[in-house]
Amino acid sequence: MSSLTGSALDRRSALKLLAAGMAATMARCSRPSEEIVPYVDMPEGLVAGEPMRFATTLTLGGHGRGFVAVAVDGRPVKIEGNARHPFSLGATDIFAEAQVLSLYDPERSGAVAGRGTTWHAFAQAWTRATRDPSGLALFTGRVTSPTTLVQIDALMKRFPGLRRYRSEPIHDDAARAGSRLAFGRVVEALPRWADADAILVLDGDPLGNGPDQLRIARAYSTRRGGKRQRIHVAEPAWTLTGAAADFRIALAPGEVREVARKIANDLGAGLGEPQLSDAARKFATRASAELRAAHGRALVLTGEGQGAELHALCHWMNARLAAPVDAFPSQDPVAGDHVGEMTAFANDLHAGRIRTLLIADANPAYDAPDALHIPAGIAKVPFSAHIGLYVDETAQACTWHLPLSHALESWGDARAPDGTASIVQPLIRPLHQTRTCDEYLAWFATGKPASAHALTRAAWQASDRNWRQMLSDGAVANTAAKPITVSVARVPDLPRAGSGRGLVLRIAPDPSLGDGRHANNAWLQECAKPFTRQVWGNAVQIAPEDAQRLQIADEGTVDVTLDGRTFAAPAVIVPGQAEGVIAVTLGHGRLAAGRIGTAVGARVCGLSFARTLSGAAVAKSADSLPFRSLQAHTRLEGRAEDLFQISGAHEHEPNEPGLDEPPPSILPTPQRGEYAWAMLIDTDACIGCNACVVACQAENNVPVVGPEEVSQGRDMHWLRVDNYALSHNGALRHGFEPVPCMHCELAPCEPVCPVAASVHDHEGLNVQVYNRCIGTRFCEANCPYKVRRFNWFDYSGDQAYAEQGPALEQQHNPDVSARGRGVMEKCNYCLQRVSRARKTAEKESREVADGEMVTACQAACPTRAIHFGNLNDAQSDVSRRRRAPRHYTLLAELNTRPRTTYLKRVFNDGEDT
Amino acid sequence: MAQLFRPGANSIAVVVLVAILVVPAGALTLTYFLWKSPYATDQYLTPAQPVPFSHAHHAGDLGLDCRMCHTGVEKAAFAGIPATHICMTCHSRIWTNAGMLAPVRHSLASDTPLHWRRVNRLPDYVFFDHSIHVAKGIGCSECHGPVQKMALMRQERPLTMGWCLQCHRHVERRIRPRDQVFNMDWRAPPDQDAMGRALIAKYFIHTAHLTDCSTCHR
Repeated sequence: MSSLTGSALDRRSALKLLAAGMAATMARCSRPSEEIVPYVDMPEGLVAGEPMRFATTLTLGGHGRGFVAVAVDGRPVKIEGNARHPFSLGATDIFAEAQVLSLYDPERSGAVAGRGTTWHAFAQAWTRATRDPSGLALFTGRVTSPTTLVQIDALMKRFPGLRRYRSEPIHDDAARAGSRLAFGRVVEALPRWADADAILVLDGDPLGNGPDQLRIARAYSTRRGGKRQRIHVAEPAWTLTGAAADFRIALAPGEVREVARKIANDLGAGLGEPQLSDAARKFATRASAELRAAHGRALVLTGEGQGAELHALCHWMNARLAAPVDAFPSQDPVAGDHVGEMTAFANDLHAGRIRTLLIADANPAYDAPDALHIPAGIAKVPFSAHIGLYVDETAQACTWHLPLSHALESWGDARAPDGTASIVQPLIRPLHQTRTCDEYLAWFATGKPASAHALTRAAWQASDRNWRQMLSDGAVANTAAKPITVSVARVPDLPRAGSGRGLVLRIAPDPSLGDGRHANNAWLQECAKPFTRQVWGNAVQIAPEDAQRLQIADEGTVDVTLDGRTFAAPAVIVPGQAEGVIAVTLGHGRLAAGRIGTAVGARVCGLSFARTLSGAAVAKSADSLPFRSLQAHTRLEGRAEDLFQISGAHEHEPNEPGLDEPPPSILPTPQRGEYAWAMLIDTDACIGCNACVVACQAENNVPVVGPEEVSQGRDMHWLRVDNYALSHNGALRHGFEPVPCMHCELAPCEPVCPVAASVHDHEGLNVQVYNRCIGTRFCEANCPYKVRRFNWFDYSGDQAYAEQGPALEQQHNPDVSARGRGVMEKCNYCLQRVSRARKTAEKESREVADGEMVTACQAACPTRAIHFGNLNDAQSDVSRRRRAPRHYTLLAELNTRPRTTYLKRVFNDGEDT
Repeated sequence: MAQLFRPGANSIAVVVLVAILVVPAGALTLTYFLWKSPYATDQYLTPAQPVPFSHAHHAGDLGLDCRMCHTGVEKAAFAGIPATHICMTCHSRIWTNAGMLAPVRHSLASDTPLHWRRVNRLPDYVFFDHSIHVAKGIGCSECHGPVQKMALMRQERPLTMGWCLQCHRHVERRIRPRDQVFNMDWRAPPDQDAMGRALIAKYFIHTAHLTDCSTCHR
């Protein structure tokens, strides 16, 4: 970790530099000569400097989601959603957005490593190793790609004794086992969220990160107007779904099962008397009544923190309620469960049954529990080869490492959870000497090199015409599986909560890092977790009651002990978490992720595969680990209710009163130009997923500042998602509020700037002129919304955490300046996009149409919570929404007249529906 | 004791007092004019090119249209420097053995691009867009000068912000009908201002926005 402040300069060097600097001013340096290097043969259709868009596919846990990658002059610079793909619907998530940074990561592996550094050396070693093919094994994560499955089949034909293992760190074993228990087969149950009027989520997080998030989030937002859903959530720790709920109760995982028992009994399950507290009984009674009242339009969901029995019981309840759930055959062709496969893999390693091992795009040495001793097991294997993007923990345990191409450099394909296939299309030739997984596997199977393009085309057998259609659509037509009919044979039994001692430890995928495979991505590391706003690390979330009992201070370091294993992490007290439950997230504590991701936070995947563990003990630690959070930078003065406003459900219907005249001001009223751009953010639709934050970062060349700087209270995000915890109708609520620049019409930042670097343009944008800025920071001090960001260091230049060298400059959006040290910056409503939209319209001699100008955050948003448009047009989307009664302005009493305004959050928690 | 101040001291004092006023003022004035002079702005600079391409011959004598080689000028911010293939469209048939075209043939044969020296250079924080200027009736010659008379390309204008603003503040003095944009011999008619105002209305040019910082800087 290099220091940003650098080493102290001694007096002699300082004088030398001073003298050199003065001498330099004497001579006029001529401007460096610049070259223009045109193509030899310009590709057809290319216009230099103009963005080109290609539909491609990115995977999350093996499941494919179609996106559109934007390339400028052959460099991918941005990921956008693909409206034609049913699991993107035009939106993105943080993992997809961050992929453009990973592509250029200078620490990605680019060469063969291990017992040799050449392909030739590896090929010889492989040939020797496979002379006796017994003991050959292949380990992968979840594979849904038809092309990869063809290669694996070919490999198994070539080596009939091949053992194959498949294990994904964020697994769905409980769901798989639950559907086996309920239906006798593994089924992918996908809810039709928009069709449900009453939804009960029992310790699950359908709105949280995952391959299905974008689809469900869109459905969620379509039901925020009109006849509203009622969402009931019982959960031990806050999830995005819990924050979105109308009724939420914090219950330990065992108590959640009692709620399920009560509701199932009401549906005629006869599972014995539930043991419920008064509050839980009230919650369960209401949820039960509403579910039954909404027969045919009621939905019950659960998550991986619960066992197979509750999953099966949810299937049974859904069957009784005729719930809008579609059952699809699982896209994962491997029959075994993830935990079982990993355990079998470990046993076979230690028993010496594996003598030649291939690990393709997986990292079991980090992901697996310590008790399985995977690294030691791999070390016993005479020939082991790891195919991966990084020389990670597994690569270090193996004898060979083979570099893998990034998805944006690869041909391939993948399937979404419902079976929709889409093609992975490269945007750029591999930056390093890498190959795709399919190319490696085909080479292993045939001994002959094959191109991924040829393999993918061979797997699809499509005509040229169809192939072009598949590529341009980004989703292959008619590949979604038909929903299958399944029936629940019997009421599954539900185990009672054990009277285990100690605390229940809940392990969840990290909201920013997931399983940690992208831990070397600085954007994700600095993406604040929704509830704690923590960055660069994970924390033990603990309920206030437990913290008080155990005398644990907020942000103090604790040791968590479970079955003799201990890890240390900062604790954070989270009101609204179930008493007796502590929660911590995966994905941190990487041992070999790279300069960015190594040793950030605590590794908890070493404890167990299970998501819910009992018998944990928490004690104050002798260590002191930093808790780095972005929100503590700006404390509220007890004004949460002003800043995040809540409306009753009945206020939702729009009537159209005129906006109140704003109070007079001593500042000159700005004149309105041709356009009056404005943004409107619907806090009722926002689920707090952070996609907008990372999209903004990618679009606007926003650098990260690194953990040291965050600890100093610094941050560069142009758009932040504030999290408000407030009490409503006696219940604790969480609300998310994305805060970009307000673009105040009477902007307080402008009169205080001594060099007029903060000025208004005629379209109402408050713009920052970087070349004028001298860094007084008066504007930042005078900004009531705290959206201005100062470059204390050359964050976008050569600093360790910013962008690590020339490779990453290639990710920069060429339409946006990279800001230097000493300059203030902030959201400019994606000025480059405004400019592009305006020019496009003007060239066609027309006005910019409503909806034509889309900001990066707006494009990314899976719930369409962000609206942008022209206030001069009274019929524009933004103008109409601003007339809604839910409309409000942040700090309206300051009379800054912001162009960014909000719609109030609605909790549909009245007693009448 | 001798006199502390000799008679000449009076003159010295006057000179010093005047110099206190004149020298800084003179230095500032000198800097100001030096800064705007071609010495600092590289105006009229003609850099050497790998191939001595003559616009005077191609655009002037032969009358080739600008868009034949600068293919992006109507579509993109960057007008585009022709790919080697575009040169060879003609030069695979004429002047096939000319010595001065050897680098072009070599570029095609070895598949290595030509490295041209940039002549008209704007700083990276200026986001100039050719396509919108061309679409709104700003002719090539407004910024590039009489290219059809230049044997080697030179920077004709100072390309300072003040120079850009002259036009952005008074578009009516520079604008011309769209069909005259690529006419290198265009002369402003006597009624330029009246015609300019009419064209501003016709082409929906919102002049107020043209002097916003955000028009060129972002």
